[in-house]
Amino acid sequence: MRSSPTLSRRAALAAGAAALALPAVTRANATDPIGYATWSAAVDQVKAHVAGFEKKTGLSVAYSNSPFAQYRETMITKFTGGAPLDMLWVSDAWLPEFAQAGWLAPIDPYKQLTAYDAVTADFCVKSTIFEGKQYGLTYYTDYMGFLYNADILAKAGITTPPATWDEVISQAQTIKSKGLLDYPVVIGMAQESWMIEFMSAMVYSTGGRFVDDAGNAVMQDPKAGAAMALNWLVDAVQTHKVLSPGCVTTGELEVLKTASAGRAAFVLLPKYRLKVLNDPAQSQAAGHFKQALMPMGAGGSHSTVGWMRFYGATPRGLSGARAEGVVKLMEWFGGKADGDYVFQKTILKDLALSFGITELYKDAAVRADLGSYGDVDLMSKQQEVAHKKDTISPWFGEWNDTHGTAWQQAITGKLSAAAALKTSAEKWATLKKAG
Amino acid sequence: MAIRAVSHDERSAFGLLAGLVAVLMAVTAFPILYSLWISLFAVNLRRPLRMPFVGLDNYIAVLSSPAFWESAGRTALFSAMAVAAVLVIATLVAVLLDQEFPGRRVLSACLLIPWAIPSVANGLMWKWIYDANYGALNGLLLQLGFINSAMIWLGDANRTLPLIANAFIWKEVPLAAILLLVTLKSIPSDLYAAAAVDGAPAFRRFVAITLPALRPGFLLVALYEAMMAIRHFDLFFLLTEGGPGGASDVVAWRIYVETFRNLSFGTGAAMSYILALATLLMSYALIRSMAEKL
Repeated sequence: MRSSPTLSRRAALAAGAAALALPAVTRANATDPIGYATWSAAVDQVKAHVAGFEKKTGLSVAYSNSPFAQYRETMITKFTGGAPLDMLWVSDAWLPEFAQAGWLAPIDPYKQLTAYDAVTADFCVKSTIFEGKQYGLTYYTDYMGFLYNADILAKAGITTPPATWDEVISQAQTIKSKGLLDYPVVIGMAQESWMIEFMSAMVYSTGGRFVDDAGNAVMQDPKAGAAMALNWLVDAVQTHKVLSPGCVTTGELEVLKTASAGRAAFVLLPKYRLKVLNDPAQSQAAGHFKQALMPMGAGGSHSTVGWMRFYGATPRGLSGARAEGVVKLMEWFGGKADGDYVFQKTILKDLALSFGITELYKDAAVRADLGSYGDVDLMSKQQEVAHKKDTISPWFGEWNDTHGTAWQQAITGKLSAAAALKTSAEKWATLKKAG
Repeated sequence: MAIRAVSHDERSAFGLLAGLVAVLMAVTAFPILYSLWISLFAVNLRRPLRMPFVGLDNYIAVLSSPAFWESAGRTALFSAMAVAAVLVIATLVAVLLDQEFPGRRVLSACLLIPWAIPSVANGLMWKWIYDANYGALNGLLLQLGFINSAMIWLGDANRTLPLIANAFIWKEVPLAAILLLVTLKSIPSDLYAAAAVDGAPAFRRFVAITLPALRPGFLLVALYEAMMAIRHFDLFFLLTEGGPGGASDVVAWRIYVETFRNLSFGTGAAMSYILALATLLMSYALIRSMAEKL
């Protein structure tokens, strides 16, 4: 009997994998440089910190970076091609995909790394865990913040920022009626990587979920799902006209530019953007932007979505004698270096990138830095009620495409909110079934 | 049958060409054949060790997907709008540049600027122009008093494709105009002189002499621009990412999403071959229909 094409294909792949593995194995000596890949952010800070590590340990690090927009695809190509990678930055959204494919190795056996869990924000630790195993230490974390332009509110006679989504509408109507802004609310709903963060913040604060703890879609549920958040967006655009219909082409960067130009009263933005908004060199509205807790929906809370990026290690990096150096490097960046959280403080100071280590909120230098552009205690309080995205799954990318389109269709009035959420839920169920 | 001996010169020629042929095979033929091969497998990089042979299933799945046909429809609409507009505008520009007037050379040089701008820079420029909150188009229209409040441009699903087509046209017109201008220059001036002696007015001369003589140029431009428009990706990526609500979800964008976001290389490759085949058939039909009139 002829062998099936599947088997012959597998055999060919196995042979190919063996051929690829051969040079990788021969290269993976303990003395070879530690392959460390990141996306193209904080490049100078990373280089300087790597140099400190090399000086301290005598180990050599081969550092490389590539643009974030193509980072996931680049890493997958490197994984499948057997590139000499030991440690890398990973987005929480990619963890199930990378871990399931065997591209990341758990760090549970290394107690010097997992010891940091006790002083790290809960959602950050949870975001590094997949199927009971932990895959890394936090690189940076942040959450979606609700920011407002206090100057515009003052001109409209509003003394207190909104605490609920209904108040957001009523205050925005006041601002609009006084001719201060056509669209006081600016929320990005463009098809881009930030879209799910904007949506998740609104869904959580209205007491909803996209997916339950068992991984089943509940987004279509009118009470426990995402309907309240989507309906609010639809009404804000179509009924109250306080949010521009152009939000469907407004990405995170456009929200920032609009707010910086003083053309927004209320925005959803990553909290770290507060620094740029209040920097006179970068923002016309500098000094006016403040943070408030995420507004609540009926039955909701001040919850928001948090996200994190982490240091992950490959099976190559945590194998044999190489593991010691890679674990040291991971701690050097994700934990303490020379007894202090050096890298976390550096990227906070230079780039306003936040940290997962909760005790840093008590650090005097950190408080002084954060306090120069925001309310430190409020920042900390909001972080305490941040939750990881419930949609993180191996099929997230594929689902998100259909999901984003459905939400945009609802916002532009081509589909009802209920129909859009039904489409999203059905796609989720199909992909979950396919695994 | 006598076998002709290969001369020393021919052997040298083969030897000299062999390296180039090998490079061409490696960088052109191999990727094409390999992509055809993977289009027959369920290749998804998320499952690198599970790639079963599926025969034509990827092609069947794509062709039986309503979403693909909706994308194909948008691609056809975008291409028709873009090619028609490029032809009309490029013809007018070519006719203008065929006249003698002061500053013609400067104008010709300026005309090439859009063509010389890299595609990504062109896309980013139009993104700024069209932005509803701080865009230059709204700023201009507001200052001129044509509108009272900022318009929603790309965010309006009914305007998205025409606006992307506009950005495409802006970049493509210069090359098309130059190609048509070359054709115009080949028209014997005697024809115009004879028509003028016969009393034919300018419009009549344009219809009776210029347009028929431009047919080879039209064929070339239509063919080139249609191929460019059908497979165009840059502006869809930079301006709308297929949105809003799928309003600019064309086939080239779908191929990108399927291949690089969903990592389904098998389906992505199948879509690419379907698009290539459609382009080939369209080109053949265009050449046949226009060649008959030449």
